[in-house]
Amino acid sequence: MADSICRTLRDGALEGELAPTLTIKDSLASPFAFHVFSHILLQLSSHVIAQKSQSQGIVIVALSRSPSSYTSLLKMNGMDVASSNKWIHILDCYTDPLGWKDKARKSANVTDPSQQISLATSSYKTVKDVDKLFLVIAELGRGLVGENKARFCVAIDSLSELLRHASMQSVAGLLSNLRSHDQISSMFGLLHSDLHEERAVAVLEYMSSMVASVDPYHHSADGQKRCLESSLYDQNFTKGKFNVRFKRRNGRVRVTCEEFKVEPGGISFSPVSSVDGTVIAGIVPKVQFNLQLSEKERIDRSNVVLPFEHQGNGKPIQIYDGRRSLEESNSEANPISSGKKEDSAMGEIIYFRDSDDEMPDSDEDPDDDLDI
Amino acid sequence: MAATRARVSSFSRNVSTVTSQNPGLKHGPNGTMFISSGIPDLDKILGGGFSLGSLVMVMEDPEAPHHMLLLRNFMSQGLVQKQPLLYASASRDPKSFLGTLPSLVSPKGDKSSDLGQEKDLRIAWQYKKYFGGHHDYCNDFDLRKPLDRHFFSGINVDCVSIKDSPNLTSLQDRCAGFLAKFSRNEGSISSAGRIAIQSFCSPQCKYSNEEWHMLSFIRSLKGLARSSNAVIVVTFPPSLLSPSCSKRLQHMADTLLSVKAIPDEDQELAKLLTGYQDMIGLLNVTKLRGLIHRLYSYFILIYLWRVPVILDATTFSIKLQRRRFLVLECLNQAPVDGSSGSSYGTSGGCSGSTKAGSLDF
Repeated sequence: MADSICRTLRDGALEGELAPTLTIKDSLASPFAFHVFSHILLQLSSHVIAQKSQSQGIVIVALSRSPSSYTSLLKMNGMDVASSNKWIHILDCYTDPLGWKDKARKSANVTDPSQQISLATSSYKTVKDVDKLFLVIAELGRGLVGENKARFCVAIDSLSELLRHASMQSVAGLLSNLRSHDQISSMFGLLHSDLHEERAVAVLEYMSSMVASVDPYHHSADGQKRCLESSLYDQNFTKGKFNVRFKRRNGRVRVTCEEFKVEPGGISFSPVSSVDGTVIAGIVPKVQFNLQLSEKERIDRSNVVLPFEHQGNGKPIQIYDGRRSLEESNSEANPISSGKKEDSAMGEIIYFRDSDDEMPDSDEDPDDDLDI
Repeated sequence: MAATRARVSSFSRNVSTVTSQNPGLKHGPNGTMFISSGIPDLDKILGGGFSLGSLVMVMEDPEAPHHMLLLRNFMSQGLVQKQPLLYASASRDPKSFLGTLPSLVSPKGDKSSDLGQEKDLRIAWQYKKYFGGHHDYCNDFDLRKPLDRHFFSGINVDCVSIKDSPNLTSLQDRCAGFLAKFSRNEGSISSAGRIAIQSFCSPQCKYSNEEWHMLSFIRSLKGLARSSNAVIVVTFPPSLLSPSCSKRLQHMADTLLSVKAIPDEDQELAKLLTGYQDMIGLLNVTKLRGLIHRLYSYFILIYLWRVPVILDATTFSIKLQRRRFLVLECLNQAPVDGSSGSSYGTSGGCSGSTKAGSLDF
């Protein structure tokens, strides 16, 4: 399903429709949403470089990671950072989100350390002003792809940080403005779902067209049991389940589940081993009877020998009509002789029909003898 | 002298008192009036349509856009019958939603169109007084074709954006001004109005944290609707509200519908529900309420009684017939609590002795 997510974000928005939006949720039990975020960012970057995607640039709103970490991420995966300025731009909301360093610099007159970031980076120092943030994102994207119909992608690396600085209404307004912007192809963002109340998580799920949930591999309710069983504890920190709810355009919801494994090189996804079906518990009733035979029942039914003549056991059908042919009488004589030879103590009744004494019917009419 | 004089008989019938009825309105039981919801099956389910003066609430599903299907057909039906429409939503440009409204189903082919028109003319010539304009109370809409522009480019349509306003006061003023044109003080009903509010309490609106303000708005809207010949349809996402606010909104509704998404490519659902391939969602009719108005001419007082008829919650499946028409069907599902146990649990052998004796008859 991660490939399907990357494919949807690559294909982007249809004309006149909202941009597809992905929200990646995680919690403290399975804190691997940034690995998924990095995986999707790298996949989308390779599509942008190869010019296979609808978007021609990516604007990264860096709130929880520094721009240098993105430079390292791109270098580590073999991308040329020098030529990345044409298709990627980082909006730095991490270094000085509220403008405090500017105030400190004005008072103390400290020299700014030289920045060694080679990616195209712009600073943004009033994160509380979300309307201005929307305008800056749109401006940066327009600088990347131009003024025409070309589109760009927006990656927000922490919606939780954004919710920390601004209210839910303004963040929802930002997402709504970004989705309905003409030049935005797709969006994805990261959310730590256990930091917020349920309503905030529900709002972001409501505004997303895809919701990916990073869940732990084993649900251990007891914390002490988790400390005791260290193997399960280790598995929870390297493996997990990746649940995706995909809102389709015809109004249906596709629910899929995959396993992921965190490796030194990144993250890898595989199909889930045990398939559990999704059933709406409130609507679909539970059926109490079997509509089909099981395999054992079908085998047992075929072995039943029924007492009907038309279901014979392979022998030719002989319907008893009261008289015997000569072959049968010859075959009947054999057990008599064998009986005599054995001198068995059991008695037998030997019956010969009276009708065998008669001659077979002839064509002569018995009335021919009459002298009429 | 008598031959040239025109005779006026005292037994001649006065023919000039034929009253023509409004095609968009339908009389219901106990003096109620209905307007169509735009979906023929929903009109049958609701007993004729939406009752005039009522507030219809549609509970959205956070994962399915089916509330927009109900809203689009409702708006298209009003525009086709030239009923004034007020549309409010949380998008920046509400007029762009009017371009997505479905159009009327056109008759197929020119030949059948001419034949149908000729037949209509022929019928109208003979039985003109029997038709009376009831034939297009509710139309079928083709979801694949947009509505003609001349339907919604007139003065009958008013659009309001509730995204940037800090509170609901301006929307309340617009609704009050719209509903004042359909006051019930007049003797006869000339036209009916329609108000459609899409995704009320959307999270991007500035007022979406003020729950009591939203409840007060809906309460005043319900009071305005009661005294006017209009129907108000409001859709809201209940999962984004607090449980108490969501329950209060549900109790305020005169008619309460909810839509629900179904999972895609579910093998178990495909076995249990017939016609699963054409299904796109589920519709639940939770509450229905009829309005009874009685006018006592002796005291010139208007008594307004609301007799609640709360049906049991019935779930219908929303289907797209040939991917164009919206139909609702009762859910056909497997029976519950049938007789358990296998029919062929014990394989009893009925075969007799296979010993063949020498005296085999």
